[in-house]
Amino acid sequence: MAGADFAGDVATSRAPTDSRDGRAGTAIVDPASFRDPRGVVFRRDGVVYRQIDRSFEGDWDALFATGLYEDLTSAGLLIPHLAAPDVAPISDDALTVIRPQAVEMISYPYEWSFGQLRDAALVTLEAHARALGRGMALRDASAFNVQFQRGRPVLIDTLSFGLSQPNAPWRAYRQFCSHFLAPLALMAYRDPRCGLMLRGHLDGIPLDLASRLLPIRTRLRPGLLSHLHLHARAEGHAPSADLRRRAPRMTRIRHLALVDSLRRTVEGLRWEPAGTVWVDYEETTSYDPTARAAKRRLVLQFLEQAGGQCVWDLGANTGEYSRIAAGLGRFVVSIDGDPAAVERNYREVRQSGEERILPLWIDLLAPSPSVGWAAAERPGLLERSDADAVMALALVHHLALGGGVGLDRILDLLARIAPWAIVEFVPKSDPMARRLLADRNDVFPDYSLEGFHAAASRRFDIVADEEIPGLERRLFLLRRR
Amino acid sequence: MMDLFYAYIDPGAGSLVLQAFIAALVSVPFLLRASIKRGWRRLRGRRGDEPRAD
Repeated sequence: MAGADFAGDVATSRAPTDSRDGRAGTAIVDPASFRDPRGVVFRRDGVVYRQIDRSFEGDWDALFATGLYEDLTSAGLLIPHLAAPDVAPISDDALTVIRPQAVEMISYPYEWSFGQLRDAALVTLEAHARALGRGMALRDASAFNVQFQRGRPVLIDTLSFGLSQPNAPWRAYRQFCSHFLAPLALMAYRDPRCGLMLRGHLDGIPLDLASRLLPIRTRLRPGLLSHLHLHARAEGHAPSADLRRRAPRMTRIRHLALVDSLRRTVEGLRWEPAGTVWVDYEETTSYDPTARAAKRRLVLQFLEQAGGQCVWDLGANTGEYSRIAAGLGRFVVSIDGDPAAVERNYREVRQSGEERILPLWIDLLAPSPSVGWAAAERPGLLERSDADAVMALALVHHLALGGGVGLDRILDLLARIAPWAIVEFVPKSDPMARRLLADRNDVFPDYSLEGFHAAASRRFDIVADEEIPGLERRLFLLRRR
Repeated sequence: MMDLFYAYIDPGAGSLVLQAFIAALVSVPFLLRASIKRGWRRLRGRRGDEPRAD
């Protein structure tokens, strides 16, 4: 969790010092850290540290001497860190060890809605533009270098900044295009679900693939024509030595113009969440205002009883109940399988300045698996849980009757995620459940209140079991045994 | 033959060369916009001065 000692606490030359004694305990190297051996991320006693290699010294000093670190951290574009001189480095060639401010929940680009990925792209460009203004440049434009913290995207890779070389091109240009521009264009012009392609293309969507999939009319937009379509063709053809010689020099103005062009292109990509089933779910369900108020009261009461710091809201839709938990000071991971619902949730988070809700777009019937090298580089959703409580409101009937998952398995999953669970049970007689069963054979004989009781009791103590007044639905508070 | 050689050792070369051409191209409207903005600001600044000059 984020410590108060980071707030506005930015040093002019070096970051302030971490008072923790990190000498004890075994260092566990982060599985995603192998790509950057000169800046190894490791954990000791559950705290995340990063070792800065001696070979980074020039760039590292410049980051502070140019004022870039202070500029970026005070603008909320880069994660702040504390110097941790007392923490033992994990190898001899360490220049220093830092303790970056903790991120509540690590999430990945293939779990973000369109707006989240777009904001992450704009943060990346803004950081690069500010670096250029101070004689430095962003060396990496990986979407994995962005995380959501306190509701906003922020760069987490402090080592991505280097002194810029005169007239050198931006080496991260292609990376930016395939990590951000290609998926955003596909989401905006084809379908927001194209974002899921990033799960199989961890180094960004190949530009030739994006170019093939995008509609012809995207070639009429100068930004997409140049940065995606022509870029894809240029990649396929190695330039002749003559063409290389004639290539214009990348002056500072041209760097800034390139960033400006990319920013305009990204800002020109729009997607409005409308017309999907779930976004209107809250409006179309059988809830009358009294029942809804009663359900909200019960959820609040159960959340207070469960206590803890972190709540996962599964099937959160646009986050109505996530906001109740956030109101109690909890950090909430607000998960839904509908990209439009997640987009609306995120927009609400940004508009209201909400800092405690992280909306994520994940289908619970196929949650993010562990991917990348040795299937360990980017851990799956369930490997990342440190939730104290999990909410499954108006969800179980969808998983059971819609997804064909038995109650035992559903409760197993909830017990795996958190020690406390707040679960709504919707009987088959409920209009929403009837709708789910309308077009299929009822092959779920165990789906009943008694069946739910039995399945819950095998894993949890049933702490509370309340009827939602005005509905046939019941709300359970469960504590894992 | 040369093309093949570059394709093998340097797959990002095409991207870097293209980047330089795009950047040179977009720097024209970029500078134009910047100078229009500057001119506009100067103009507004002067207008703002007028009442005080009287």
